[in-house]
Amino acid sequence: MGYSFYQLFAITVGYLLFLFFVAWATDRGMLPSRLVRHPAIYVLSLGVYCSAWAIYGAVGYAHLYGYNYMAYFLGISGAFLLAPILLAPILRLTTTYQLSSLADLFAFRFRSRTVGALTTLIMIACMLPLLALQIKAVAESMEILSGASDPAYVAGLFCILITLFAILFGARHATAREKHEGLVVAIATESLIKIIAFGAVALIGLFGVFDGPEGLNTWLVEHPEMLARLYYPLQDGSWHSLVMAFFVSAVVMPHMFHMAFTENLNPRALITASWAVPLIFLIMAICVPLILWASLKVQVTTPADYFALGLTQHIGGQASLLAYIAGLAGASGILIVATLALSSMALNHLVLPMRRVQHSDNLYRWLLWVRRILIAATLLLAYLFYLWSGHRHSLTELGVLSFVATLQFVPGLIGTLFWPGANRNGLFVGLVAGFIIWLFALVLPMLVPSWQLPLALDLLGVRFDAPEEQWQTVALFSVAVNGILFSFFSMVTNTSAEERNAAESCAVDSLRRPYRWELEATCVEDFIHSLIEPLGPTTAEREVELSLRDLNLGRNETRPYALRRLRDQLETNLSGLLGPSVAHQMVDDHLPYKPHDEDQSSEDIQFIESRLELYRNRLSGLAAELDSLRRFHRQTLLELPMGVISLGADAEIIGWNLAMETLTGISGRRMIGSRLSNLPAPWRHLLLDFASGDVPRLPQQSLEIGSQTRWLSLHKSHVHGPTPGERDGGQVVVIEDITDIRSLESRLAHNERLASIGRLAAGVAHEIGNPVTAIACLTQNLGLADDANEIRDSSQQILEQTRRISRIVESLVTFSHSGGLPSHSHLPVTMHDVIDEAIALLQLDPDRRYQKTFNECDHSLIANGDPQRLLQVFVNLLTNAADANPDMTPVFIRGKQHEQTIVIEVEDAGLGIPEELRHTLFEPFVTSKAPGRGTGLGLALVYSIIEDHGGSISIDSPISDNRGTRFTIELPAYVEAVAE
Amino acid sequence: MYTDRLLIIFIIGTYLLSPAIIQWWSDGGQSWFRPFLVWFALIGVSYWIARSRDFDGL
Repeated sequence: MGYSFYQLFAITVGYLLFLFFVAWATDRGMLPSRLVRHPAIYVLSLGVYCSAWAIYGAVGYAHLYGYNYMAYFLGISGAFLLAPILLAPILRLTTTYQLSSLADLFAFRFRSRTVGALTTLIMIACMLPLLALQIKAVAESMEILSGASDPAYVAGLFCILITLFAILFGARHATAREKHEGLVVAIATESLIKIIAFGAVALIGLFGVFDGPEGLNTWLVEHPEMLARLYYPLQDGSWHSLVMAFFVSAVVMPHMFHMAFTENLNPRALITASWAVPLIFLIMAICVPLILWASLKVQVTTPADYFALGLTQHIGGQASLLAYIAGLAGASGILIVATLALSSMALNHLVLPMRRVQHSDNLYRWLLWVRRILIAATLLLAYLFYLWSGHRHSLTELGVLSFVATLQFVPGLIGTLFWPGANRNGLFVGLVAGFIIWLFALVLPMLVPSWQLPLALDLLGVRFDAPEEQWQTVALFSVAVNGILFSFFSMVTNTSAEERNAAESCAVDSLRRPYRWELEATCVEDFIHSLIEPLGPTTAEREVELSLRDLNLGRNETRPYALRRLRDQLETNLSGLLGPSVAHQMVDDHLPYKPHDEDQSSEDIQFIESRLELYRNRLSGLAAELDSLRRFHRQTLLELPMGVISLGADAEIIGWNLAMETLTGISGRRMIGSRLSNLPAPWRHLLLDFASGDVPRLPQQSLEIGSQTRWLSLHKSHVHGPTPGERDGGQVVVIEDITDIRSLESRLAHNERLASIGRLAAGVAHEIGNPVTAIACLTQNLGLADDANEIRDSSQQILEQTRRISRIVESLVTFSHSGGLPSHSHLPVTMHDVIDEAIALLQLDPDRRYQKTFNECDHSLIANGDPQRLLQVFVNLLTNAADANPDMTPVFIRGKQHEQTIVIEVEDAGLGIPEELRHTLFEPFVTSKAPGRGTGLGLALVYSIIEDHGGSISIDSPISDNRGTRFTIELPAYVEAVAE
Repeated sequence: MYTDRLLIIFIIGTYLLSPAIIQWWSDGGQSWFRPFLVWFALIGVSYWIARSRDFDGL
């Protein structure tokens, strides 16, 4: 059955309107999100690869080159079979950095606008034949079915329709971060239609022409030349180049890149695609020989490219419509997606870098309109190319031109993923050389018959007399030259640090080592203010808000780490809007880092750790072992029972462990990446002063937190960078909460005092007894006295005796009192007076009251300390001296000042200290006394008090003749400045 | 971690084996569907790998 041109045109419009409806319904949310994001939709959308060349051209190619036609289907199948290895890293890069095309990827990786622009230009050039092929296929299929005589007119109308559709559903959002769900579902629907239609045509051939598989086998046995024609071309050696060309085109061609990476709605669907895409193309590939053989059997009259149409026309009925719809679906799908992708590339790499973006509030609208114009321009170019060359060349020839051109991107892509040493100079030279060879050795000889090959190539023995027959030679030669130049120039020319950094983030399995540079912007408002100039106030505000939302950060963020992440995210998001080159330049210009020395910068350890955590399941072998070790060390540090803070050289906090969280009540998440100056009081002053000071430790530091006093012991140490060039100056600060120890010490000291008071009680009773007796006698006398003078004398004596009692009680109270002065006050302490007081107290002890003690300290020796605690020190030392001195030989206390230190020696001539006790004498519960005579806490307390005063204590024993002990105490001298 | 090496081995292996594969293919005679069976088997292997392995990062 024949169709009129208008019928076919109406069918075409109807088909496109149907797609329009599918896309519209999806965008309106009429389809459930689960279905839209289902892997099957992604897999079917990748069927965009199956263009009119697959529907029509593959049959023609099989007719000419036998089984070589399978390379087209096997190439993409191979690419997707290797998807987890080959495509997943590209998807990761495009998603992470919002890269929407191969030009974006190259411009990002090689940090070059020129590379982006060159890739775009070459891509447009290499896609023109393929786009023209689609236009030609639709126009000629209409011509075959309707007999219309002017395919150029038909092609023009078709192009207008496609332009409208592409603009309506592909260019509604200005930024790549918005996915076109409607477009994806529409393309998936289109793929389903063409697979069903193409399969139906093959089944019509199998059952309508051969009466089933048996009939086909019988026919093949009767016509062995048919199989021989399939097998024979396999021997010509072009197989490798063919598979490679189609393998690469499945990744780099803009429509494939767009559907596989840019419009990917569900990254895990790529895994499903690894087996489902090859399955779809297997089904398509099986159909090709069936259609070919059926067409040959019935001897259709159409050119081999259109055997599908000729066969269905021969069968009759509505069958030919199936073939037409299949071809239309293939052509429209690639035309829409490829023009969208090419327009994005042209906008990002040709228009935006050349034209400074106007900072108006309508940036989004301006971008949208430029994209729409570029879509129309791209389709116009494809149409003009079709008009210029389409009539004279078969679908196969046009397809080959494009597929060979895509091979030029192979070296760059391999370099991007696997070779961090590749640079922009190499890529530029390689691409230009490969493109020139393609242009002069394949395109011009094929399209311009009058073109003569350059003599130089002729002299080299490379002959392209019939380029369409020897295209594989051109393909291999151009890629080889491209690859060699790419490698050579990459090795001999310098690579910038910026490019190396980008290369690290692109290379498979590598971890970028970002540096911790300081931004000039110090808060989110600074970001907005800086971006107003290039973006306008509304866009700047919106982009910063979007980036903050992406990072889950608040608007009041001031942490340097968070601001660096915000800068990166802004560059990524602007890259989706303006392309990586413009975005990078804009962020560099308006959100600069403070001047820094690249060789002496610290790595952003926090960022590296977060990346490692994200990818840890990917690590294997040695890397996994190292990661386990890292986690072990990190966990040890994290769960250490002491607070640990790691500080960068710029005082940025890069580590804050769990003990610090408990101690301060401030979470690590809040503090990491900020500075000590961002800490709340009272921690800010304590840690800032300690970190910036020269003192390596603060053994006893009190801190008022709310109504509580906490005692802390602080230590710090400098950390050197792991590499020689790296700046050192980072610190690790360890904080121990010793409040409980202090409390225990206080209790122990109190107990020790009580024990001393117990020992002194008998002496006190005796001392008080005498004046009391005297008072009693005086009072009796007073009762009998009548002389006023005598009464006055007795009263005076009674008062004297009462004062004596008061002094004794006061001494005891002073000794036993733990309060009074603030804890551990540092006051000027006259050592002579303290020692005298200690001697007086000792005199109260009945066992020690006859011990002679000589205080030879000068009144000028004034220490800086707590008088009560120092009194405790001397009471304990003198008690020990008296106990170790059965002969009651005198004890001498001498003192001297050495610069800023007061040195006091307490020397006895007693029994000395047994050797086995000397090393443990200052430990608690160590005593040489008989059971029941000592608690073993006395010297431990002495040691603790002296340490608290920042002093030291040492022992010499025996001094001479195996007798005698000397305790030497060093205490800081009191000076006015210290007190202040 | 060593996926790039796996890729290189796969590509070189396929390239080296391709003459033998093509020879075997050419000797198919009436079994013209032979390559499609191998292709189908590869899809089966890929399906099994996709099901049995967790691809982190995707």
